[in-house]
Amino acid sequence: MIDRRMPMAESTQFNYGPETLSEVSSLSIRAIQLVEGLLSGHHRSPHKGSSVEFAEYKDYSPGDDIRHIDWKVVGKTDKYHVKQFEQSTNLKCTLLLDASGSMAYRSPDSKSPGMDKRDYARTLVAAMGYLLLKQFDAVGLTLFNDAVVSHLPPRSKPSHFQNILHGLQDMEFKGVTRIEEVVGNLIERLPGRGMLILVSDLLTREDDVFKTLKMLKSRGLEVILFHVLHPDEVTLPFEGDLVFESLEDDPPLGLDPFDVRQQYQQAIQEQIEFYTKNCPTLGIDYLFLETSTPLEQALRYYLLRRKSLRKI
Amino acid sequence: MNFSFTSPWYLLGLLGLALPILIHLLTRRQQTRLKFSAVYLLQQARKRSVRKSRPNKLLLLLLRCLAIGFLCLALANPNLSSGGLESILASRPSAHVFVLDDSYSMSATSDQGTLFDRAKTTLTELIEKLPGNHSFSLVLASHPARVVQDWTEDPGQTLKWLKAAQPSHRITRIGKAVTVAADLLSSAPQENKRIFILTDMDQNGWDRDEFPTALAEDSSTQIKIIDFSASQKGLNRALVEKVKLNQEFLTNRRVIRVQATIANLLPNRAIKQLPVTLVINGKRQSESMIDLPAKGKATHEFSFPLLNNDPVTGHVEIQEDALAADNRRLFVYQPDRKIKALVVDGDPRGVAHQHDSFYVEKALNPFSSPMADIEPTVSTLSEFSERDLKQYSVIILCNVRDLAIGLEQELEKFVLRGGALLIGLGDQVDPKYYNERLGLLLPVTLKSINQVRTKDKPFHLKAQPSDHPALKVFTGSMLKEMARIPFQTLYSVEPRREREFETPMHFTNRFPAVIESNFGEGKVILFVSSLDRDWNNFPIHPTFLPWIQRWVKYAAQGLENISRHDVTVGTPLVFEEMEQAPLVVAPGGIISIARKNPQSPPVFEDTHRPGVYELYHWSAPSVSEPMDSLPPKQLPADAKRLGSFTVNFDPAESVPGKVPEKELSQYFPGAQVDYSPADQSLNAASVGAGVPLTTLLFLLLAVMMFWEGWIVRKE
Repeated sequence: MIDRRMPMAESTQFNYGPETLSEVSSLSIRAIQLVEGLLSGHHRSPHKGSSVEFAEYKDYSPGDDIRHIDWKVVGKTDKYHVKQFEQSTNLKCTLLLDASGSMAYRSPDSKSPGMDKRDYARTLVAAMGYLLLKQFDAVGLTLFNDAVVSHLPPRSKPSHFQNILHGLQDMEFKGVTRIEEVVGNLIERLPGRGMLILVSDLLTREDDVFKTLKMLKSRGLEVILFHVLHPDEVTLPFEGDLVFESLEDDPPLGLDPFDVRQQYQQAIQEQIEFYTKNCPTLGIDYLFLETSTPLEQALRYYLLRRKSLRKI
Repeated sequence: MNFSFTSPWYLLGLLGLALPILIHLLTRRQQTRLKFSAVYLLQQARKRSVRKSRPNKLLLLLLRCLAIGFLCLALANPNLSSGGLESILASRPSAHVFVLDDSYSMSATSDQGTLFDRAKTTLTELIEKLPGNHSFSLVLASHPARVVQDWTEDPGQTLKWLKAAQPSHRITRIGKAVTVAADLLSSAPQENKRIFILTDMDQNGWDRDEFPTALAEDSSTQIKIIDFSASQKGLNRALVEKVKLNQEFLTNRRVIRVQATIANLLPNRAIKQLPVTLVINGKRQSESMIDLPAKGKATHEFSFPLLNNDPVTGHVEIQEDALAADNRRLFVYQPDRKIKALVVDGDPRGVAHQHDSFYVEKALNPFSSPMADIEPTVSTLSEFSERDLKQYSVIILCNVRDLAIGLEQELEKFVLRGGALLIGLGDQVDPKYYNERLGLLLPVTLKSINQVRTKDKPFHLKAQPSDHPALKVFTGSMLKEMARIPFQTLYSVEPRREREFETPMHFTNRFPAVIESNFGEGKVILFVSSLDRDWNNFPIHPTFLPWIQRWVKYAAQGLENISRHDVTVGTPLVFEEMEQAPLVVAPGGIISIARKNPQSPPVFEDTHRPGVYELYHWSAPSVSEPMDSLPPKQLPADAKRLGSFTVNFDPAESVPGKVPEKELSQYFPGAQVDYSPADQSLNAASVGAGVPLTTLLFLLLAVMMFWEGWIVRKE
């Protein structure tokens, strides 16, 4: 059943349909950890939110509701300040989407079983945002490649979903992946004790991505890692003399995929196995997703898994 | 380092290299470009991968190309050398003329045989290394220059000839040989032309006037000179330049004097105590030591007695040096033949000196020596009929009245066979008998006796120089003396009709003195006065002795003794006074005939070997046959020895001067001249004689094929 507060979902150009969003919205994600407040009916949030009780001013930033601008202060100081109120709020979640060139991979084979990786990732992010907003959690969106491309702070208003969709719609997949550097810069801007959902293909030359994840975890963040790859990137199904042109900054490479298929598949599997094995040790939820995997199945599997973990 | 190929046509097979390349290009999969996300992972995977399809395909292509290349090269039979003789051969198809100096100076000794042997070795190597598409010809540079091998690409015949070749005894004529070579090259179709001159650079053979000017106009001709002079072992110090023979006359024993001229060829060094030896008939006759000044000459005289009338062959030789050919000089001495003369005295007297035959006998053999050239026998008229005329060469009738019946016919037969008849007249002579019975022998009739009175002026001989063989020795004072001889009485004669005769001597009153005629193969000589002192004082004059001797020898055809000719190698010998071409027996017993042209005397040109040549008079088989037809294989039975002559080396070739390298361009103006000493060429040839690479290339081919098979099987 479609939520009436999500009219923009139909107007977006994304490839996910109402069925997908509807199936996703039928599931609910529950916070596994109590952060500081409580979700309405579930837990109390210590964070500021929209409430009747004034808390403080803050500088206006895009995404803030202009209705909360204190126009008197603007008149006095010529600066835009937003009034913040003490209220019970949801989980603050930042959706961190890899916007590097490698995420723009499209299979040359039109009959390829997987959908485009970028569409898949954006759908995933939008679904997650919708899901979280539906639970009145605050959701922010950060796009990055070798630096932060755009950042939307978490908001819990249902209309924020439109901002997220807008951000996803306007994004371009280009540049080089620099997860370590980006997270290092971003970590101060992230809300403490929130949730970070990282959607990436993890195709980077960086050696210490896992350390970065560990650092995030140490900040008290709940980290969910979606490792998205196209089936081509897993199996390397190509044949013939090919010149591989990098979507990032690697030099072109001419070879017969037949010669390296085994080693390549092995490298990818080693990477997947590494995260599969090590992420749980840090309490990081890791999910490897091939774009051929139905998105709703992946989300359902994930949410069920979250739910089961919570019960534990 | 140079490559040469025995069968270069197989190199065309290298075009086959295009085949695997073409197949590779046609079968190559189209390379497509693909945008991919994890290129760095591909790179890492490739580093870990042992499977490399594309490089292997390139390697396979390379191996297949190499295999084809090695196969073609191996079939072309390559030879690798480092600057050997083949390096001086052009790689493009060329025409080569090899000019080989085979003059006798090339017979000088070297470390390996003679210079000619070394030149032969070098030339053999050059010809063997000639690529198949090169043509060549061979010219010998000794005089006269001649083509031994016309244009050919097949070395077999030439190599066979070279194997047996020996240096000639002739002198060098490089200029003439180069002219012949230039003529040959003018007919060669190839653009690349070369003349190789293998010589000892002996200056004698380099006459600028003899070199062709055509070479200057044809810049495509290259001259390559290989100098063998540095290979000569030792010096050519001296030579026997000349040998002159003289006979001492008027002695009881004949002594031959041999005068040898020895020349020192060293420009700056005198030669002390050089042994000079006279060898007669193979036996060492005498030896002396002489001193020679630097670049000077010395003459030494030997003498030896002539013990009999047999021909003498000998030589003068000096101590051996680097060039043996000019260290000896041959000579031959032919004593005059002994002529047996029968002197018929028609008026014998009691006192010897009153015999009509007395002066004639004494003049023919003054010392009564058995060694004399003429052996006279005096006979009375009565004994004459009992004599065997075949035992005599000459019959002299001295004041014979007449002959016994039938004897005149014997005389006619004697003259017809080639005998000589000399007739001296006198008071006993019956002119009627002579005119009637001796008509066949005498071309004239005795007309009348002409006698001067005591007070009258006597007859005198008209003494004048004559070309007649019997009289040509009488010149100067001898003629004057002869002109003073008084003749009181003589016969006047009248020619018979249609008879040919000559009158070599006349009296001042134009009366014939001597009448000469031929009858059969013999001669008849008539002297119109007496041969004793009855009608003149001629017998007591000194000129009588040689006069009567020469007439006897002439009539007996013994004057043309050819024994003192000293001919150099290659010089034609002209027999001026011979009508019929003689047979010539060359050293080694080779019989040939002197060439005879209708308007010129016989000439013998084949004097290319030093040695003693024997001459024989013979009866040619038929007048209609040309005289230069095939000579008889054996000496004919009727051949009469005429004499002999020697052929010696031309001393000009012994002159030690060499043509300087810097002057070579003057002989070949405008042409590319490349000079190299033979030692360098030979050393290079021995060091870099060439390594055949065929086996190695076949091995490499096998390796390539094995490698290719292994890669294909692995994939």
